[in-house]
Amino acid sequence: MAFEKEISELEERRARSLAMGSAKRLDERRAQNILNARERVAGLTDEGSFSEWGLLAVSIRPEDRERSAGDGYVSGSATVEGRPVVVHAADFTTLGASTSAIGDKKFHHAKVNAARNGVPLVLLNECAGSRIPDIMGAQGLHRAGEHSELWRDRSSPWATAILGLTYGDGSFYASMSDFVVMRKGAVMAVSSEHVTSVALAEAGDPREFGGWEVQTSVTGAVDRAVDTDEEAIELIKRFLSYMPSHANELPPRTTAGEPGGDQESLLAILPESPKRTYDVRRILQVIFDAGTLFPLKERFAPVAFTGLARLAGEVVGIIAINPMHKGGALDAEACDKIVSFIVLCDSFNIPLVTFADTPGFMVGAAGERQKMPGKIMNYLQALGAASVPKLSVIMRKSYGQAHLNMGAGYCDEMAAWFSAEVSLMGRQPAMNVLHRLKPGETPEQYAALEAQLTRDTSAYALADAFMAQTVIKPSETRDWLIHMRALHARRPTGGIGLHRLSTWPTTC
Amino acid sequence: MNRTAVLSEVSGTVWQVLVAVGDAVEEFQELVLIESMKMEIPVLAPRAGRITEILVAEKSSVAAEQTVAWID
Repeated sequence: MAFEKEISELEERRARSLAMGSAKRLDERRAQNILNARERVAGLTDEGSFSEWGLLAVSIRPEDRERSAGDGYVSGSATVEGRPVVVHAADFTTLGASTSAIGDKKFHHAKVNAARNGVPLVLLNECAGSRIPDIMGAQGLHRAGEHSELWRDRSSPWATAILGLTYGDGSFYASMSDFVVMRKGAVMAVSSEHVTSVALAEAGDPREFGGWEVQTSVTGAVDRAVDTDEEAIELIKRFLSYMPSHANELPPRTTAGEPGGDQESLLAILPESPKRTYDVRRILQVIFDAGTLFPLKERFAPVAFTGLARLAGEVVGIIAINPMHKGGALDAEACDKIVSFIVLCDSFNIPLVTFADTPGFMVGAAGERQKMPGKIMNYLQALGAASVPKLSVIMRKSYGQAHLNMGAGYCDEMAAWFSAEVSLMGRQPAMNVLHRLKPGETPEQYAALEAQLTRDTSAYALADAFMAQTVIKPSETRDWLIHMRALHARRPTGGIGLHRLSTWPTTC
Repeated sequence: MNRTAVLSEVSGTVWQVLVAVGDAVEEFQELVLIESMKMEIPVLAPRAGRITEILVAEKSSVAAEQTVAWID
C-alpha cells in the first residue's frame, strides 16, 4: 500500500486522541453513570454527522503533549435533528478540561464559526478552571483576552449543559448562554473550593455554593436541573427545537397542534373569588398547543412564569404572572428574569405574549434595597425596545406601574378578560392611603368617600376608550391569539426584528 | 432526610392553617393561607414529608421569609 507508514502514523495519532484521558478516569465515570465527552457528543448529534476539529491539538507545553488529547475538548460541527450545530464538549479526563492556550483557540474557532455561519453553539461543560501554569504570568493571563471569547452578540443561539465540576471559563460561558441545563451533582462556580479556601479562608462544599439548588432558585443562572447526562442532552435538543438557527431566521414552525385542553375548562381553573390564587401554568397548558410549554428559569422568581410554547404550531414567548407565588406581586428578581427572557425573544424573532394578574410591584424596604425603581424601568425599557410582536392579555388584576410593564401602551394588541380589574391600586388600599380609613371604620363616611374615589376599574372601561382592543371570555383567548399572531407577522421584514436587545448583558 | 423550614414568601396575616402536626404532605401542597395585598396567598410545601411543627396561628402576623412550619 502506498504511504503505508504515513497513514499508519495518522491513524495512530488519531487513536491516541480518541482515547482521551486515562483509562482509570474513564472507568470511574462509567461506574458513576456519567458519560464521557465523546459519548455526550454522540448522544446529542445525529449519527455520523459529527465532523471534529482539533482532534490532534495538544497542550502548548511540551511536557504535557502526551497527556493532553485534543487539549481537553471534543469540538466540531454536526447536525441535531437534521439542523446544523457547532458542539464544544469538555473532556474532563484530560487535564480537567482546564482553560489553556490551545483549548482556548479551539473554543474561539467553535464560537466564531457558529456566529459566522449562523448555527447554534452547544457547550457541554465541565472545567477545572484555568490551567496552571499555562494561564500564569503576564502573557499567560493576557492571552485569555486576545480572542474576546467572553463577548457575544446573540447572532446564533447558545445552549449549555453543566455536567460536572464547572469553574472559571466553564461557568462564564454558561452565564452568557441562552439556555442552561445542569445535572444534579454538578457544580457551577467561578472558583473551586480549593481556590476559595486559599484566597478567602472560606471553607465550603462546592455543591452548596454552586450546586443546582442555588443556581436554579437563588441565582437563576440555570434554567433547568435534571438527574442524568442523557436528560440534559434531551433538554438541549428540546430548547433548540424552538429556536431559529440564527437571528435572521424565524423559529421553526410545525403543523398546528391541538390545544392542551378544553378551552371552557379555563373557567374552572380561574377562581371566582378575586382573592383566591391559582397556578397560571394550568391556564397556559390549556391555551397553547398540547405538551409544548417549555419553562425557563422555572424555580427562580416563580411569580413570573417565562417560557416558550407553540401556538397553532408557531413559537411564542410567554411572560405570565403566577398569583400562586407572592399573590402575583413582582419583585426585583422577577424583573431581572423577565428582562433576560425579553432579550432572548427579541434576539431570535420570537413574538411575546403576556398574561397579567398582579397587584403590582413589590413595595417596601426589601424592594428598595434591591433597586426596585431601576429594575422596573430596565424591564419597561426592554419591553419597549423589543421589536417583536407583543400581544397582551389582562386576566384579572393589573395594578399600578405593573400595568404598563404588562404591555399598556407597549403591546400591539391588548385583550382583557371580563374579569380584568385595572387601576393604580385597589379601592381599599386607596382609601387607606388617601383618607387613612379602613373598612368598618365610620361606615357611612367610608361609603361616601369610597364612592367619590371609585372610578371604573373594569375591562369595559379599557374597551370604552379602545385601550384594550377587545374584551373576551377566557375560552376565547386561544382563538384571539391565533388571529392576532397571524396579523402581526411583520411581513415587510419577513418577521425579522431589529434585535436592539441582542447585546444586552443578562446573567440570570 | 433533614428537616426543612417552610417559609412564607410574603408578609401578612395568617388567614387559615390548612394542615396539622403529623400530616403527610405533598410537594407544593398549600399549608397555610396568608392574607396579604388583599389576596389569600398560599404557603406551599417545599417538598413532600410530614409536618413536625407549626409556628403560626390564625390571625397572627408573619414577615417575609419567616418560618411558619417544619417538615421532616
